[in-house]
Amino acid sequence: MGLTVFKPFRAGPVLFTGALLWLTMIAPAQADEPQPERAEDLRYGWVLYEYHQGNAFEALTQLAVAREQGGIDGHGDHPALVEGGLMLSWGMTREASRLFTELLGADGAGSTLSTDVRNQAWFYLGKVFYLEGDHDLASENLERVDGDILAEANHDLFREWIYLRARLAMMSSRFGDESDLASLRAKLEDTDIWSLYLRYNSAVSALAAGDAVTAEAELQALIAIIEQSTDSAEPEAEREGLLGRARLSLARLYLRDNQFDAALGVLGDMPLNGVFADQALFDYAVAAAGQGRPERALHALDTLSNRDLFLPWRQQVPFARAYVLEQMNRPQQALPAFKQAADHYQARIEELNNIRNRLSEENLMAQLDFSRDSDGILTDSYGRLRVQPVDFGMAEVLASETFQQALAELNELYRMQSFVAERQSRFESFRVMLETREQQRQVRIAQTRRALENQQADQWQQLHQEFSEKISEALTEEDAGFFMTSKQKALRDKLDKVEETLAGLPDDATTASQRATYQRMRAYFDWWIADDYGVNRWAAQKQLRELNREMDRFQAQRQRVETLMADDARHAELARRIAASERELATLGEEIADALGNARQALLSQVDSMLVAQQEELNGYLLASRHAQARLADQLFRASQNAGAGDE
Amino acid sequence: MATCLNSRFPVLLAALTLALTAPAFAQTNPGAEKDDTAVAEQVEALKKKVIRLNRDLFILEEDLLFPANTQVAVFLSVDAGKFLKLDAVKLKVDDEIVASHLYTERQAKALERGGMQRLYVGNLKTGVHQMTAFVEGIGPDQRPYKQAASLEFEKSTGTAALEIRVEDRSSDYQPSVSIVEWE
Repeated sequence: MGLTVFKPFRAGPVLFTGALLWLTMIAPAQADEPQPERAEDLRYGWVLYEYHQGNAFEALTQLAVAREQGGIDGHGDHPALVEGGLMLSWGMTREASRLFTELLGADGAGSTLSTDVRNQAWFYLGKVFYLEGDHDLASENLERVDGDILAEANHDLFREWIYLRARLAMMSSRFGDESDLASLRAKLEDTDIWSLYLRYNSAVSALAAGDAVTAEAELQALIAIIEQSTDSAEPEAEREGLLGRARLSLARLYLRDNQFDAALGVLGDMPLNGVFADQALFDYAVAAAGQGRPERALHALDTLSNRDLFLPWRQQVPFARAYVLEQMNRPQQALPAFKQAADHYQARIEELNNIRNRLSEENLMAQLDFSRDSDGILTDSYGRLRVQPVDFGMAEVLASETFQQALAELNELYRMQSFVAERQSRFESFRVMLETREQQRQVRIAQTRRALENQQADQWQQLHQEFSEKISEALTEEDAGFFMTSKQKALRDKLDKVEETLAGLPDDATTASQRATYQRMRAYFDWWIADDYGVNRWAAQKQLRELNREMDRFQAQRQRVETLMADDARHAELARRIAASERELATLGEEIADALGNARQALLSQVDSMLVAQQEELNGYLLASRHAQARLADQLFRASQNAGAGDE
Repeated sequence: MATCLNSRFPVLLAALTLALTAPAFAQTNPGAEKDDTAVAEQVEALKKKVIRLNRDLFILEEDLLFPANTQVAVFLSVDAGKFLKLDAVKLKVDDEIVASHLYTERQAKALERGGMQRLYVGNLKTGVHQMTAFVEGIGPDQRPYKQAASLEFEKSTGTAALEIRVEDRSSDYQPSVSIVEWE
């Protein structure tokens, strides 16, 4: 009917962000796993640095990088919990739900996280789904919370948890929800703000079900509780606001049933400077007119007429004012008032037509005032933008959850589009980096080639070959002399020299003795060489084997260097990755452009629907005003005719 | 119509008032809601893709600019921050200033809550290097505070990671700065 369900979440979601951060960061200290004093993984420390600054995208990217490079060590389930929290705050609710379910399980079994942390994770997940209007998922997650533990750990969250479950029960048509609802409401004190909201929303539900008696009783009880519990010296704005809304709703119930005295009684208690003062004034006019006191009604409407008529609901005022003048039997004043009202409605309809014809994203955004800081538009913890309407005609559409979501999505898509543009501009530098890298590699290859040339590898190879052949030949010929040691060779040279000297001496007794000595020495030498042949040959073969091994190693090393110099696989792989990323980015850019088109269309459709609805209302008033004009003009004409006839 | 309006005006007016409290646009039709959901899911899927692509580009950029065999990364952490309100940090490697940073309140808070900032990433040849960090801020008794810490370290062929640690020292109620090498 006329009342709308009250959503008490719009005022302070930032507080919930704080709670969410607390949930994921501080609470693990109570978990079975001890909370590390400092990050045990540098990448995780980096994630936390971004996380605590509210840079969800950067933090999520670092978590993805860490996962790609082997994961995060030493922190158990906490990185996943942080990731879930980041996803929630970045509007990735479905992914967050999947992650939490995977991480915590339906009963939390297998998780190292404490029940308290799990409880809060389910609570926030359930609440986000509730705000998104997905009541099944909201119920599913909220049901997982252990109420006793939540009540002990955080009583404020517990009260809110009760409220959310009660609201879901109210919206559900399942059998048994009535008793569930009653037991849930019983857990909250009557004066608790959540209980007051529940009472108000219960009245709305009763009215929707056609039970005006219950609705009236609930509203009366609500007003009485707030009046009794409010500290008049220090009233709370939230309770005051709810009190005003409850009074206005009750007054409208009375008006609907023509109980004008009762309506005036309720409206008379409303403060003139309250949030609902204008609406109360209009209802007061309706009640006064209904009560047969049009002067009072006219006075109230005149007061309202002097105010800006921007708000859609105030469009009734010009017609109502003219009507009351007619009821007061003042047709002379009523006729121009109806004309004025018709002109106003006509002008406003044309204005709305113009707005609809010119309706574009740019025009729409010009009507919105976004709160910004150095990082861009401010958002609350659920990703909704902090925005105020420039034109108060936009206030109602702006207040709707679907519009807020569409606006937030549009903003996210623009941010993604600028991300794509920024990354696209980097590919040129990536290619320059790759080229520079290749140039440096070529420089290093040239240096290596020079070094290899300096090693004269081919010459060494040849010497090795020659040496191998000589040893092989000596082995075949069993050439003991070839395998002599350096000492033996020196001795052989000395003996050869002695032999040469002795050959040049005269043949006398002394020389004969010397030659005999030489012969003995030579014989001994030959015997020694023959005796050492096996040892010397083995030593030479051993040396050759070692040389062969070294030469093989040298050749293999050289081969590897040659392969490395010839191989450009790494370069090719980097080039392939650059090309693949560039393609992927281009595709992503197209997808974002498509999504932007859809989001823009959805947003504009919502505004257009609102404008159409306003136009329809105005058309009704325009028609009524013109009919009244015609009727009054006719009445006045007839009256003047009658007066003329009387004169005659 | 005119008769109707005249005869039932107060009731109609009240009804109009009630009707107007429920914004027309709030009466979303199921089709529109479905479209909204579709856009929301589309945006979420795109966000997943954007994160994955940003991850790939981040790794690609590191591979291009800072290959593992020469890469050196320096992180900064602040433990507690009771005795020092961090203002600025300067980092010198082998007598050359390679990084300096002025901290906003939000960044300093993020560090105090356990975050670690990657202050510097660059390339160094294998061998011995000297690193010096200069930390400035407001120390005990609200007095300007400046302290330096040095470390000689050997860069091997793997990635090198170092951490500048700003800690509270309860023994003399002073902050302390040190550089530690991560294995």
